[in-house]
Amino acid sequence: MSRLIDIGLEQLSKLLFKMGELAENTVSLSLDSYTEGLEVHEKVRIWSETLVALSEEVEEKAIELIARYQPVASDLRAIESYIKIAYDLSRYGRYAWDITFIYKRLNINPNDCMFPSLPIKELNEKVKNIVHISVEVVKKNDLDLAKKISEMESEIDAAYYECLDKLVEQDMDTIKCLVTNLLFIRHLERIADHASYIGEAITYLVTGKRVSLRGRMDKES
Amino acid sequence: MVKIDVRDLNVWFGDKHVLKNIDVGLKPNAVTAIMGPSGCGKTTFIRAINRLNELIVGSRTTGEIYIADKNIYAKETDVYDLRRRVGMVFQKPNPFPQSIFDNVAFGPRTHGVGSEENLQKIVEGSLREAALWDEVHDRLKDSALDLSGGQQQRLCIARALAVNPDIILMDEPCSALDPAATAKIEALMRKLTEKYTVIIVTHNLQQAARVADFTAFLYLGRLVEYGDTRSVFENPSSKLTENYITGKFG
Repeated sequence: MSRLIDIGLEQLSKLLFKMGELAENTVSLSLDSYTEGLEVHEKVRIWSETLVALSEEVEEKAIELIARYQPVASDLRAIESYIKIAYDLSRYGRYAWDITFIYKRLNINPNDCMFPSLPIKELNEKVKNIVHISVEVVKKNDLDLAKKISEMESEIDAAYYECLDKLVEQDMDTIKCLVTNLLFIRHLERIADHASYIGEAITYLVTGKRVSLRGRMDKES
Repeated sequence: MVKIDVRDLNVWFGDKHVLKNIDVGLKPNAVTAIMGPSGCGKTTFIRAINRLNELIVGSRTTGEIYIADKNIYAKETDVYDLRRRVGMVFQKPNPFPQSIFDNVAFGPRTHGVGSEENLQKIVEGSLREAALWDEVHDRLKDSALDLSGGQQQRLCIARALAVNPDIILMDEPCSALDPAATAKIEALMRKLTEKYTVIIVTHNLQQAARVADFTAFLYLGRLVEYGDTRSVFENPSSKLTENYITGKFG
């Protein structure tokens, strides 16, 4: 006979899976729009707001489970981890939305700002990949995949710093483009951080151990 | 530092081997909760700490329990003095059918305190420590049986404190009480750790999580896990503990 709390925990995990799928699509669309100059701002805004609403739903449900069942051990760790993951997935959406706003806000043509020397497309693919892996980690509670996030996050950090180095070498005439690309890669780097947080939350859920899967910001890349 | 050092404790009732090879060091000035499913030996364990088990015909105990570096199962142990130092509060409040004052004064009188003035001091001090003085100071001559269930239980705690113990054992002290009375006893348990070592048996896991500094899990007479309460409830080291506290069995 399943326990009453199991019904609530299953509802929470289903909400997270739904969020994961939506977050992955949102990031993917946003990143493609940046490199291809597509206008997807409104669509991404709606998806991002949906993610926030779902995150709030997860939080409310989680608090209800705590109040009603006083969970302990793996039940308690699951609830804590689910709250964190829901927040991280909602942040994916928020960064994706912010990315779609960069061109609009600075009033520039995206095609004018593609510095050939910047590994933007590679960075894009890496970020899409880390987001996908983080969603898989949530679905499967897979610790090996969680560790893989750590390696990928380090690669993204390295690519981020490479982009930064190349940006400061650019001509000052392209200041708008510098800002544009700077904002973009910064958002990508933050998305990767949240993928790490998700890996950390699942590791805690499964093992009870709090680990850091993030590289240090001040390290040499 | 350890207050109660239990070494290879085994208890039998007739042929039934109730406690098996228990080794544990219980910490001073802390609440330790003993939890486990019915029949796992929780009550037998705490009754071993003041040798109450031996009042049951057919019981047999082996192993050692050291309190203040003395084995309480040594031949020279004065069992009456042991039970004064290790007080006990039971599941159901059991005040004597006497006045509030006489309930608390009973132990000191038995141990030879004759002066009325001293008795007054002890009764007031014990009732204050048990957080009951403010509620009963103007009716000390009333029958203890007129008190509410929660007040009766605090009176029983005051009665245990009146003989100047080191250790208070509590066997499901709140199971017969409503939530408000339970909250008062739990707050009292925490306060008592300033002077005493408190060991409670509880079926209520949330109570253990709320009040205990350390938690032990017994299963089929064996000590499965003992550790600080946060670790036991957040990340138990044993799968058995995990399954018990999450309600998967028991």
